[in-house]
Amino acid sequence: MEKIEQQELEEPIEIRKEKRKNIITYIKFLLIPGYIMEDLAVREFEYEKTISKRKFIRRLKSILTIIGIGIILVIVSFAVFAPWISPQTLEETASFYPNPDHPNQWPYSPPSPENPLGTTHFGRDLVSIMIWGARVSLSVALLSLLISVPTGIIIGTIAAYYGGVIDSILMRIVDVIIVFPGLVFLIVIIGVFGQRLEYFILAFGLLGIGGYARLIRGSVLQARDLTYVEAARASGAGNWRIMFKHLLPNCIQPTVIAFTFAIGGIILSLAGLAFLGFNDPEQVEWGFYISQARAEMLDAPWAVFWPGFMIMMTVLGFMLTGDGLRDALDPRLRNI
Amino acid sequence: MSMLSYIMKRILWLIPVLFLVLTLTFLLTKLMPGDPVQAMLPLNHTHAQYLQMEHMLGLDQPVIVQYFRYIADLFSGNWGESYTVNRGVPVWDLIWERFPRTIELTVFSLLIATFFGIKTGIISSKYRNKWQDTSFRGFALIGVSIPVYWLGMMLQYLFAYRLDWLPSGGFKNMKYGDPKFVTGFRLIDSLIDGKIYMAIDYFSHILLPVLCLAFIFLAGITRQTRSSMLEILQQDYIRTARAKGCKEKVVLHTHALKNALIPVVTVIGLGFGGLLGGAILTEATFTMAGMGDLVVSAIFERDIYLINGIVFFSALLIIAINLLVDVLYGVIDPRIRY
Repeated sequence: MEKIEQQELEEPIEIRKEKRKNIITYIKFLLIPGYIMEDLAVREFEYEKTISKRKFIRRLKSILTIIGIGIILVIVSFAVFAPWISPQTLEETASFYPNPDHPNQWPYSPPSPENPLGTTHFGRDLVSIMIWGARVSLSVALLSLLISVPTGIIIGTIAAYYGGVIDSILMRIVDVIIVFPGLVFLIVIIGVFGQRLEYFILAFGLLGIGGYARLIRGSVLQARDLTYVEAARASGAGNWRIMFKHLLPNCIQPTVIAFTFAIGGIILSLAGLAFLGFNDPEQVEWGFYISQARAEMLDAPWAVFWPGFMIMMTVLGFMLTGDGLRDALDPRLRNI
Repeated sequence: MSMLSYIMKRILWLIPVLFLVLTLTFLLTKLMPGDPVQAMLPLNHTHAQYLQMEHMLGLDQPVIVQYFRYIADLFSGNWGESYTVNRGVPVWDLIWERFPRTIELTVFSLLIATFFGIKTGIISSKYRNKWQDTSFRGFALIGVSIPVYWLGMMLQYLFAYRLDWLPSGGFKNMKYGDPKFVTGFRLIDSLIDGKIYMAIDYFSHILLPVLCLAFIFLAGITRQTRSSMLEILQQDYIRTARAKGCKEKVVLHTHALKNALIPVVTVIGLGFGGLLGGAILTEATFTMAGMGDLVVSAIFERDIYLINGIVFFSALLIIAINLLVDVLYGVIDPRIRY
């Protein structure tokens, strides 16, 4: 009986010591950044070795890509849910006259509890400018890409598949679009047709065709002589079927990546045009507010800083996502 | 001989492109609202005066005749007279007065961006995923996403207003005159003339705009260099070079960089057009009187002859740069010379 009691007494002490060691280890793990617990690290390494990197979602797991996707989600939610999130309505933000109902919103007032980022000219709140501006940028970018990407893909595929004279003629036409100075072309189109949002979308759409045509043409030229095309032709597929059902899905990868980068590029160009004064007066555009606040930059730097910061953050989000997408789709990095 | 035939083939392809660009510009300016005849006449003109001015400007001919006269005029140097920006000044003189300033800005930015961009690209690819790579990639991403004019304004605020180290705009201090006209480029002229203070002052004026443009271009070059170097460094001949005992520096610069340069040269050629567009925005931010400023004024004022002249000039420039890039391809990689 005494022996059994002695044994029962000894075990709890050892178990208590072990528990204390475990607790100290867990506390260290929680509080010290970079603390490595060996058995956990070994188990993690074994797991990482066994899971396959072929699944697309796993390859997107880099921290920068996740930040980029997060930024895009925030911007899209700004654009979609703007009437509910923004403190001011669209009429107040985009109107030409100071709002008589809110006499406390002086122009260019510094950040205050009422206007968390300050106000710009006519007393418009900067937070609502940042939120409403997302709509214009995103809609112009997506709609103009909706015009240029399908057109560019069709032109590039036809040019590369048929080759010869058709290729030369189509590529010369595309060269004209590319060689024409871009910003000048945009400004001329806006000057000719008027400053409305639809003409911006059209102009950006026309300008973008060239890039996608060249990209698709390069890929299809490489893939045109491969065996599967010959097999498809032998099984009786016509030319258009081969082009758009067999060749295109395999050649579209650089275009997808360029698409993501182009959204950022169009947002930047749109803001640049708005800065120069070529914007739609009824819409809220970030570049326009930068140019308006330039006169008061020394007294009210917040009015210049925040719209530009918003442009930078939006484009950064798309660029980060594009980078992550490109690394994830890279065929040479498979099975690492 | 193959090099010469390569260049000749390229030039032959570019001629129809140039003509299509001219046709497009002509059509666009025909569609533009605003009447140049009315803009050149005083307000109380009679109908006879209107017809006379129209005949003088050649606008009463049918459109086809106007088109051919336009092409002939462009190639013979008669680009018309600007009627809004500086009334009566020939377009050629206006462009040629402002063009050297923009070119100096663009060329300086190009040189700085290429030099530092290729260096950081190589370092990024060498220390892949280490802290050097991550920090350079972060800078490159920010550089690609930042608006030029916003960066310019932030730099203006910091260096010109807060710290007062650099002037905030313009090309020259108003107290200093102009150097003797030799080439039209202010830097070269002031150095030839012996006035070093003018050259230093000019440097301090263009430092901020050049930094803005160079930062953005540098970001693009860094990204492209890094990605093409990463692709090259996996090749077998790099492994052979290392196995033969070459120093790492030699492997990177002699073996890898030469092969990696082709996409980078493409980016530089494409980016030159973007630099001209960036020069428009930068000149607006720093209030410099260069060609970009001229473009914006011309389109605001609907000055047809000036717009024609500028578009033709920029198209010629971009075509020349593309030709240079194609020739550089042939020089760097002998396999491309077909």
